[in-house]
Amino acid sequence: MESTIIRSKNFNAYFGVNHVVKDVNIEIPKNHVIAVMGPSGCGKTTYLRCINRMHELIPGATCNGEMALNNEDVYSMHPIFVRLKIGMVFQRPNPFPNLSIYDNVIAGYKLNGIKLPKAEKDNVVERSLTRAALWKEVKDSLHKKGTFLSGGQQQRLCIARAIAMEPEVLLLDEPTSALDPISTSSVEDLLHELKANYTLVIVTHNMQQAARVSDRTAFFYLGELVEYDDTKKMFTNPRDNRTQNYITGRFS
Amino acid sequence: MNTLVKYRIGKSAAFKTLTIVLAFACVLPLVAILLYIIRAGITKINWHFLVNIPKPVGESGGGIANALLGSMIIIGVAALIAIPIGILCGIYLNEYKKSKLAYWSRLSVDILQGVPSIVIGIVAYFWLVKPLGGFSALSGSVALAIMMLPIIIRSTEETLKLLPDSLKEAAFALGMPFHRVILKVIVPCGISGILSGVILSVARIAGETAPLLFTAFGNPYISTNVTKPMQSLPLLIFNYATSPYNDWHDLAWGASLILLLWVLLLNIITKLTTRRWRVQL
Amino acid sequence: MAQLEVQLGLLKQEVINMWSLVRSQLIKAQTSLINFDKDLAREVILKERRVNGYELKIDRDCENIFALLTPVAIDLRFVLAVLKINSNLERIGDIAEGVAKYIVRTGQPFKPQLLEATKLTVMYEGSINILQDTLIAFENEDTILARSVFKKDEFLDDINLDANNLIENYLKENPGDIDQALYALSIIRKLERVGDQSKNISEEIIFYLEAKVLKHKHSH
Repeated sequence: MESTIIRSKNFNAYFGVNHVVKDVNIEIPKNHVIAVMGPSGCGKTTYLRCINRMHELIPGATCNGEMALNNEDVYSMHPIFVRLKIGMVFQRPNPFPNLSIYDNVIAGYKLNGIKLPKAEKDNVVERSLTRAALWKEVKDSLHKKGTFLSGGQQQRLCIARAIAMEPEVLLLDEPTSALDPISTSSVEDLLHELKANYTLVIVTHNMQQAARVSDRTAFFYLGELVEYDDTKKMFTNPRDNRTQNYITGRFS
Repeated sequence: MNTLVKYRIGKSAAFKTLTIVLAFACVLPLVAILLYIIRAGITKINWHFLVNIPKPVGESGGGIANALLGSMIIIGVAALIAIPIGILCGIYLNEYKKSKLAYWSRLSVDILQGVPSIVIGIVAYFWLVKPLGGFSALSGSVALAIMMLPIIIRSTEETLKLLPDSLKEAAFALGMPFHRVILKVIVPCGISGILSGVILSVARIAGETAPLLFTAFGNPYISTNVTKPMQSLPLLIFNYATSPYNDWHDLAWGASLILLLWVLLLNIITKLTTRRWRVQL
Repeated sequence: MAQLEVQLGLLKQEVINMWSLVRSQLIKAQTSLINFDKDLAREVILKERRVNGYELKIDRDCENIFALLTPVAIDLRFVLAVLKINSNLERIGDIAEGVAKYIVRTGQPFKPQLLEATKLTVMYEGSINILQDTLIAFENEDTILARSVFKKDEFLDDINLDANNLIENYLKENPGDIDQALYALSIIRKLERVGDQSKNISEEIIFYLEAKVLKHKHSH
């Protein structure tokens, strides 16, 4: 029985007067991977950033409508709490360059002033790195700076950093578009395993990736949610013509 | 055809030679000054010189202890005033790039950088010396702080501008409040540039005389009271070099050398700091 | 990529399961023929639904793999081959059902002499073996075994060509068995098609393993 963890109802987002996300209604079930795809400028990244309230950090950015996490409206909670429950991984891997790998993983605790005993810190680091499929590769060099890892490893480090906070949902904004094919592959395999403990929402402009990794896919076009369905159905027999045109590459 | 090409090659060689020669020409004055002052001042420096205050006219010996201590106190207080204000202002300018306040702030900083140091001294005189009824080290520090501000603000802003936005985003996404994002992520990553800006600003004002003329004024004795006049190295050099006494001339030369070494040292420290604290992005 | 490998592995197992089911259908039909066991024949007819079910599922699985995982090279050829082998197997399943339907309809058991004279027994054994060969060739990725199927199919073709004569000769001596003889002839025709379908399956196996298209080539 699927339970909904994130629900958007009549959700809109603006940059000043630009209406970039129009009246979106989505229910995201727990422990699923949801892909959000669409052509450039369709509002998918904006929508994603509204979920963990990163959108409002941009001057002039506003939104309205319901965005609920476990039935609680995200916009009536303090943004800090929201971001502790909903983590985010970005397009360009961005480990903190002045911290070691170890410190990067627990950065969410350390830099927030949350003190943990050493044993627990070690535990968190090992668990997060293991879940991010990075532990074996870095366990002997935890004190080294994070920026000396390869692109794929850095991105997995960022994933480890995000899941160290034990969020309920993990948002990924085109997490592999800056990586080479092999690193992309390793991150995609990882997403499959992460499903067990987290709900993942991944924005991608690569539809094959959406097809490979997700259980459900949402197709955005010009700010609207055109179609939202099981990935299998979406890619074998989409309901909307616009979806079909996009998937088959017939968009100009 | 051949002669034309040869002429061209000759012109090119001549141009290259000219640039090299002129480069040396730039270095020449610096070398000349250094050599002259070292030669004039090196014999005057010894332990006595550093720990004694100037003796009254006629007596030989004496030193610059009061000026040394005074300089350190005045500069120290100036740094205490300028560093927090400068860094925070630099952070503000980087965060709110487009606001009206940022625009006027930047404009003011640019203009301030060009204001003659003596004018700043006079302003400090009217602000602090007149109302408080007397010269003081504090008013001197304030004047120097005003001169330090543009450098610290500028270098902080430029350093932070180089940091990618993704750093801030990563911090926010981890649930950090604004003040922690700035203090625990942005500033530590830019510490190299900020620190070098601070040290550079100190090097800049270490030898400023004009702002101290009407503020700290000078003091023949050792003093640690910031509300009273205080001696400083440049003031001492200014006063004693133009005096008719040879003993005092000697003191001035020695002080000049010390000041020079001080500024040199600060510049070297800046370079080392930048390298040591640099964060590889 | 892990996903693709897993899905291809599952697909292979599905096909092998269908293969085993179809083989057991053929064998049961054979047993019901020899023992004149109408109940066993009815069982075969009922089970045909499962064979059809497998066909639909495998078709859908192939479609999903194409749409979601975009296989290339040998993986692509594999899924294409599976699609075709799928329908070949389904037709063999139909043939087994057809034989079973005859058993249910006919009034009298088939005389062993009839079966011997028309080489029906030999042919049935041959067709079951040829199907088994294709299964093993698929499972073990054995192109040599796959190629050996072509010769064996010729053997079945020969019996089929001879069938008319053999039946004629038998009927001259046993004119009363015309009903059974006609059924036997039909069954021989059907079994020849099992050989054909198996040959097609072998061509698909060679295609996916070697990227060689042997379809419509007259000498192998």
